[in-house]
Amino acid sequence: MARAAKSALVLCMDVGFSMSNSPPGEEPPFDQAKKVIQKFVQRQVFSESKDEMALVLFGTDATKNPLDQDGQYQHITVRRQLMAPDFELLEEIENHVRPESQQTDCIFSLVAVGLFIQRIKMLVKKYDRLNIVLLTDLSTQVSSDNLDVIIGNLGKLGITLQFLNFFIHMCDPENSNNMGNSYYRPGVGKGLSREQKQGLEMVRDIMLSLDEDEGLDQVYTFSEAIEQLFMFKHIERRPMAWPCQLTIGSSLSIRIVGYKAVTDEKLKKMWITVDAQTSKRDDVKRETVYCLDDDNETEVQKDDTIQGFRYGSDIVPFSKVDQEQMKYKHDGKCFAVLGFTKHDSVWCSLWFQTIKMFAPKDDEHAGVALSALIQALDKLNMVAIVRYAYDRRCNPQVGAAFPCIKQTYECLVYVQLPFMEDLRQFSFPSLENKKFTPSESQLAAVDSLIDSMMLVEEDENGQKEDMYKVHEIPNPAFQRLFQCLHHRAVNPGTPLPTMEQWLKDALERPSAISERCQAPLEEMKRKFPLKAVEKKKELKTGAQIFGKGSAEPDAKKSKVDEEEEEFNLAKISEGNVTSVGSVDPARDFRSLINQKSLPFGEVCQQLTHRIEQLLSNRSTHYYMKCITCIQTFREQSVKLGNADLYNSYLQSLKKSIPNSGLQVFWDLLVQGMISLFIGEEKKEVETEPAVDDAGDVDDLVSVCLNSSALKYLMFVS
Amino acid sequence: MAEWNAFYQNEEADEEQEEGEESAVNYKVTGRDSLVFLVDASKEMFIKGEDGEPSNFDITMQCVRSVYTSKIISSHRDLVALVFYGTEKSKNPRNSFKHVYVYHDLDEPGAKRVQDVEALRGERGARLAADTMGSGEVSLGDALWCCSNLYSDIKLRLSHKRLMIFTCMDQPHGGDSTKDRQARTKAGDLKETGVVIDLMHLMKPGGFDVSLFFCDIVSPPEDESELGLQVEPCGKLDDLQKRVQAKQQKKRAMARVNLCLGEGMNVAVGVYANAVTARKPSAIRLYRETNEPVHSKTRTFHTQTGSLLLPSETRKAQVYGNRQIVMEKDEVDTIKKFYDPEIFLIGFKPMEKLKLHHHIRPSVLLYPEEQQVTGSSCVFAALLKKCTEKKVFAVCRYTPRRNYPPRFVALVPQREEVDESNVQVTPPGFNAIFLPFADDIRKLDTPQFPTASDVQVDKMKEIITKMRFKYRSDAFENPVIQQHYRNLEALALDMLAPESIEDFIMPKVEQIDRRLGPLVDEFKELVYPASYNPDSKPAAKRKTADAGGGDEKKPKVEIPEAELRAHIKNGTLGKLTVPVLKEACKQFGIRTTGTKKQELMDALIAQMAK
Repeated sequence: MARAAKSALVLCMDVGFSMSNSPPGEEPPFDQAKKVIQKFVQRQVFSESKDEMALVLFGTDATKNPLDQDGQYQHITVRRQLMAPDFELLEEIENHVRPESQQTDCIFSLVAVGLFIQRIKMLVKKYDRLNIVLLTDLSTQVSSDNLDVIIGNLGKLGITLQFLNFFIHMCDPENSNNMGNSYYRPGVGKGLSREQKQGLEMVRDIMLSLDEDEGLDQVYTFSEAIEQLFMFKHIERRPMAWPCQLTIGSSLSIRIVGYKAVTDEKLKKMWITVDAQTSKRDDVKRETVYCLDDDNETEVQKDDTIQGFRYGSDIVPFSKVDQEQMKYKHDGKCFAVLGFTKHDSVWCSLWFQTIKMFAPKDDEHAGVALSALIQALDKLNMVAIVRYAYDRRCNPQVGAAFPCIKQTYECLVYVQLPFMEDLRQFSFPSLENKKFTPSESQLAAVDSLIDSMMLVEEDENGQKEDMYKVHEIPNPAFQRLFQCLHHRAVNPGTPLPTMEQWLKDALERPSAISERCQAPLEEMKRKFPLKAVEKKKELKTGAQIFGKGSAEPDAKKSKVDEEEEEFNLAKISEGNVTSVGSVDPARDFRSLINQKSLPFGEVCQQLTHRIEQLLSNRSTHYYMKCITCIQTFREQSVKLGNADLYNSYLQSLKKSIPNSGLQVFWDLLVQGMISLFIGEEKKEVETEPAVDDAGDVDDLVSVCLNSSALKYLMFVS
Repeated sequence: MAEWNAFYQNEEADEEQEEGEESAVNYKVTGRDSLVFLVDASKEMFIKGEDGEPSNFDITMQCVRSVYTSKIISSHRDLVALVFYGTEKSKNPRNSFKHVYVYHDLDEPGAKRVQDVEALRGERGARLAADTMGSGEVSLGDALWCCSNLYSDIKLRLSHKRLMIFTCMDQPHGGDSTKDRQARTKAGDLKETGVVIDLMHLMKPGGFDVSLFFCDIVSPPEDESELGLQVEPCGKLDDLQKRVQAKQQKKRAMARVNLCLGEGMNVAVGVYANAVTARKPSAIRLYRETNEPVHSKTRTFHTQTGSLLLPSETRKAQVYGNRQIVMEKDEVDTIKKFYDPEIFLIGFKPMEKLKLHHHIRPSVLLYPEEQQVTGSSCVFAALLKKCTEKKVFAVCRYTPRRNYPPRFVALVPQREEVDESNVQVTPPGFNAIFLPFADDIRKLDTPQFPTASDVQVDKMKEIITKMRFKYRSDAFENPVIQQHYRNLEALALDMLAPESIEDFIMPKVEQIDRRLGPLVDEFKELVYPASYNPDSKPAAKRKTADAGGGDEKKPKVEIPEAELRAHIKNGTLGKLTVPVLKEACKQFGIRTTGTKKQELMDALIAQMAK
């Protein structure tokens, strides 16, 4: 039932007279203490801890506490009873905690708090840990009368104490950057008032008697506390034990217990969708409907659907029940060794999480057996390949168990390995290419860059110091999210804050490194010419792609103009067109006719030849080209008043369509074009419409390429 | 170690396809692959082997079937056709070719086609073939021409065209030089349009002489080092028969970003996945009545008014500390934004600093993108070389996309490795290993045990040595996915039962036992005392068994009032168990609605306070 256990924490803050005193230019202890409390409560709120918290102020003008009888325990106010921290508490601290003018003996208050907790305890709430955090500057007279009794009582209740004191002069500058490790060292305290010294003595007595080992570690100064509380608490999840047996063959088994050790942690809470006006969740509902793929998109009930899977071009109905019945089944929980292999042959893996395997706590024999396996694997530099199944419902995995030997413990580390289906074995061109081989001087530049950017360095004692420990950085995504959420909750209606400086710094290159690498980096830039290739594909906006809708008529008009222009240009630049080529046959055709160097008939023949050739490719892209050719053919024929060749060609083309499987092409031509045959609108051209089956001709009277056909073509090609 | 190696031998994935992909220099292949089986249906193909061995035709159909089923799973969008030549009857689009029977047009394979091919197998298959097609005159030229028409009738873009000829005749036209010439010309035409022609020559008494005719037909080998044609009756057949039931993956970069070494020093790299968990293909929802697929639409509406809500009419919220905190959607996005997509170099660390188990996601591979920033490959190659030499890895901050919080990665150099035949085993590049943040590491209580003695360790070493095998990453198929595909196949092809799968990740217990022999008992003697049984239930559970279950406990449950009062007074009521508390409630006639401990305790305290 470890899960149900909570801890209780009582924040006792001195708001008395002396707390608002400070030497000029320095923040009064009160403000600092308040900040500490705020930060602390924030952390608790966002870590969603079940721990309960109470706030007791002492040195208040008023008195409000359950022990207030006969003038005892005066100037102590219980601002908040023990309960889970929330934003109300934060607001209360923000608005109602202010410096007041009374003085109370802090040890005395401690007694009060102790009694207070005792009462709560009697009210049957069960906590596995009780904490009192005392924030004071210790500058009031303390009475040491009942010290023994107090100590006795606190000890009996199993209360741990944390003192957060305010000692301005004790912040030693060397330590101020060193998070976490700085604590008050007795004896450094110069500049303390007599009262403070005395109070400190007393505190020490209490601390030492409560917790002999690290009593004084629990005494912090305010500024240290603020430093520590800067970041939001990181997620702590209680690892779940997974008892199982490691088996080798049928008769050797070792009892083990697995714990998830490293995993990509996600936040439990998701964003919910609320109505913009009311901010209520219940006002918004999402639903999913299923529709048939017909024109009306007929909706069908979810119950009327079944599932199927694609099998090639077919879809095979395969109900959930059948699927369940036919699926791969196995015997459940297992951790069975398939064999052992060289450590370095296992390189690629699906590391989603690592699980550490220990022997069960109470089983020494299993411990020894496992230890033998771990030691043996380590000495042989081997790993075990195992079949791992969490339980019957979960799919089995194949994975590797590595030996892991630490100073204090030994364990097997399990990681998942990929199945054949998971692998993406791509090969890449070799980099040992002459074109890319770096020169000696280039290599030297890289060498010095690496040297200048080493994050691990030996200090004078030969100790390796790691400057950048990633596993000590809290996940910035969570930190930033909490920061923003907190800001929005406390200051609604204001824009989100910028990222906190400490977080920014934590994600950047350490300043020492960036200074050191300046010169080698410059050298690198000189040695390696890099040039960004112009990006051809910019992000296309919808407007660029589709936005032409309204402007289309204009575009078309200008296109006509352009054609004229292009044509002129073509005449100049491509004066030497001698035959209809395949790249742009329509333009070639036009310029040849303009040049008049070849007889019209011959040019036409060249063009039709090209068209035939292009059509034989049977690709929509070429169809498009052919349509342009035919259009041009028609246009030029009309211009020159010679339609015979055109009409007869089209006639023969039409006849050949059924045999050549070009119906698609013909349909496009018919849909998209011009009245096919020249005749009706060009009376001066004395030609008979050469078609008998007028049925076709009638629906061909549209002037330009039907836009839908055009689009179709563009998408296909 | 023979048995262990046997584990892996038949695992080489469909070489045909892979080769095809690798040879494409521009690996961003679009369009579909196509494959035409051109099968000889002359009488010789139906002759059975001496001792009941299947006929060549039968073997071919087996191959075709296996390719069909493999294609369906691995890349069902590819087009496949089956054409017979040397038949009596003819069937082709415009019936312009005689003795060519297009059994399957170029199209995506489906269940029907697999069944069709299945029908052509065995004794009955031979009869069916004789009935429908018969055997007749052979004209390979016509057959090839017909195939080229198949290709040209396809309106889709084809990325890879392959034609496989299955025959056991090394002189199909019996020396008719006109026909030979015609066939050569047509083959030339096909090759010109980018079709790769392969020969699958089958067994023939007296051997198959490729040089007689077919050497002019087939495409020259892509690899120049491969001299001439295989003389052995084709080993490729085995490859074709291999069942490949894994979805084929196209090589695609997950992201293309800049590796930023420092201000103004950007190297373009592509990010490729090394391994991605393969899942069962997702189900398609069908309408029960007609089995036609339905599509889903999701919409958001207002509960009160029933009107549809536009995305702009909703906001996002989370609840913390009893308060709902509301944000705009784009604010939610900006919170996630830290940097533009890039890989930013922080510094280097020696390799021994990389903790093996501190990985949280499958690693990815970085490879330079010369097309984006020229000069990238050179810097990349230099970095790779130097990092390998100095045994260091780079620590980088990786932002894969916009509005995506950063992660730290360790760039571990990986040199290119090739096997004896110069085939790349591991590609060159940096493996980017994702590092955990403080939140991702869980604190564990580590139990302490005495370490094993040298004798014990040595015994285990013997066991390990006995069970050594060579691990290969592609050795294990996922039984869950394999079973799913087999099931699907069985349903689609109306098979009585799905083909059985081999579970590669099942320990071969018998073999292991045989191998280890007495070692296991020797080891057990060394580490376990005689009375110890590791297979028994853990101690805690045994205790309850010893106590004989809950029945005995019941009489003990009652608790004297005085004791109860003392508990309440001292606040130690919580020490009592729920059954005891329940009993106590009964005792005092307290009716409790709840069964939770706290509720029971509250009720008791309330009663006692009266």
